[in-house]
Amino acid sequence: MIRVDNVSKRYGSALAVDSVSFEIGPGEIVGFLGPNGAGKSTLLKMMSTWLPPTSGSISIAGHDVVKAPLSVRRSLGYLPEHNALYEGMRVDRYLDFMGKARGLGGGLLKERIEWAVDKCSLGDVIRKRVSQCSKGFRQRIGVGSALLHNPPVILLDEPTHGLDPLQVVAFREFLQSLSEGRAILFSSHILAEVVAISERLLIINRGKLLCDSSLDELRASAKKKGAELEQAVLEIVRAEGGASRVEPVQ
Amino acid sequence: MSSKVQAVPLEQESSIGFLAAILLIARRELAAYFDSSIAYVYTIAFVVLANSIFMNEFFLTGTVDMTGFFDLLPFLLAFFLPAITMRLWAEEKKQRTIEVLLTLPIRTIQAVLGKYLAALALFFLFLIGSLPILFMLFTLGDPDPGLIASGYIGLVLFGALFLAFGSLLSALSSDQIVAFVISTVLGFALVLFGNDQFVAVVDGLAPTWALGTFLLESISVMPHYDAFVRGAIDLSSGLFFLLFTSLFLWLGALVLERNRG
Repeated sequence: MIRVDNVSKRYGSALAVDSVSFEIGPGEIVGFLGPNGAGKSTLLKMMSTWLPPTSGSISIAGHDVVKAPLSVRRSLGYLPEHNALYEGMRVDRYLDFMGKARGLGGGLLKERIEWAVDKCSLGDVIRKRVSQCSKGFRQRIGVGSALLHNPPVILLDEPTHGLDPLQVVAFREFLQSLSEGRAILFSSHILAEVVAISERLLIINRGKLLCDSSLDELRASAKKKGAELEQAVLEIVRAEGGASRVEPVQ
Repeated sequence: MSSKVQAVPLEQESSIGFLAAILLIARRELAAYFDSSIAYVYTIAFVVLANSIFMNEFFLTGTVDMTGFFDLLPFLLAFFLPAITMRLWAEEKKQRTIEVLLTLPIRTIQAVLGKYLAALALFFLFLIGSLPILFMLFTLGDPDPGLIASGYIGLVLFGALFLAFGSLLSALSSDQIVAFVISTVLGFALVLFGNDQFVAVVDGLAPTWALGTFLLESISVMPHYDAFVRGAIDLSSGLFFLLFTSLFLWLGALVLERNRG
């Protein structure tokens, strides 16, 4: 469902993403871990069609991001970094707008909005303006609007940012309930979240993919060395000379 | 998030029609104008100023026509139209909502046209505010309806061009104040270059260069607009407005595509 093939992104002389390749199939929830500025968001932006890759190719649900961006966007639920929302809009109108823009209408749109309001617990703020909502609610509005059209591929950039611990637990269950038949990739710089939600880990630093492994494999590898998972991850990041600001398991 | 989870079936790919997407964006944009009270403030201010200009002309000349009004209105619009367009893209970039908007399954040109349509609708609201003038003129005398209709067509084409130009400058800028200042200065220059007194002064400064005449004939939009004000629905002038309006809208979409990220 997601195929990233030797993708690089260059800004002038700076190489933000360096020859990254991986594949994610249906039913997989993959955590994308790396320190701030590692290249996670740049890669997600390229996968969302927001940025074109400098080289390499990305395919989402069988569609190339450069050759068929509209088909990619139809197949994609994307929560961008910073989760920007239209501040002046009411939450219900925002969801309505996002649903219609994705081709939903009539009873199906109503049904999907009700689904998003229920799953993301937006009932308390549905008639409020986005600007009046707390950070946690705003994050849930962003997630709900990204999933309105029931996309087969979901990309979430720091989706738990702004959620309290209880909401993080609920979000984890919510994401796991969505995984059937879908490819889900979410980024975080907090190891505990990635460990709790995903079964597979991609570690990126300084634009390079340092690790693509299942959590079980990583745990087994760490155990052989007599180390904890957290230490094993930090070692991977440090091995490439990166500033290891990945927050550990708490 | 609710912990009660329920599996939902994957839907087939759905898509929105070309025109439906434009109208959807236009409605959202127009609602944003009214939500932030920009629409009310601009419309009231414009209607008060435009009607004042007319009344001044009307009492000075004592004639039941709108030529003087149509002559002066471009100067007012050179200020008011950038105030409408400045936020169109600069605000999206500042709030970072542009990434959300342009990763929806719509083409960039649809987003550009939708926002432009909203700006055009607000401009039409400005023009509706001048209807009391028409009512007064037809009550007091017997004005030439053809001349007035032609003037309004010119005004609509003038506004359409300036809104497209402002939309392009907003796409080029991340700051709406910068977009406003540049649009106003350039727009005002395009109007001023067509002013007879300005042309005479500039030509007088360097008679051999005839710079004022050059600016009037080659750069200003006013000769094309004036044709409509004088009652001539001129095809070439109409095409001039439509061509440049389309060009600026297309360039706006191109700029947004090139400057992604």
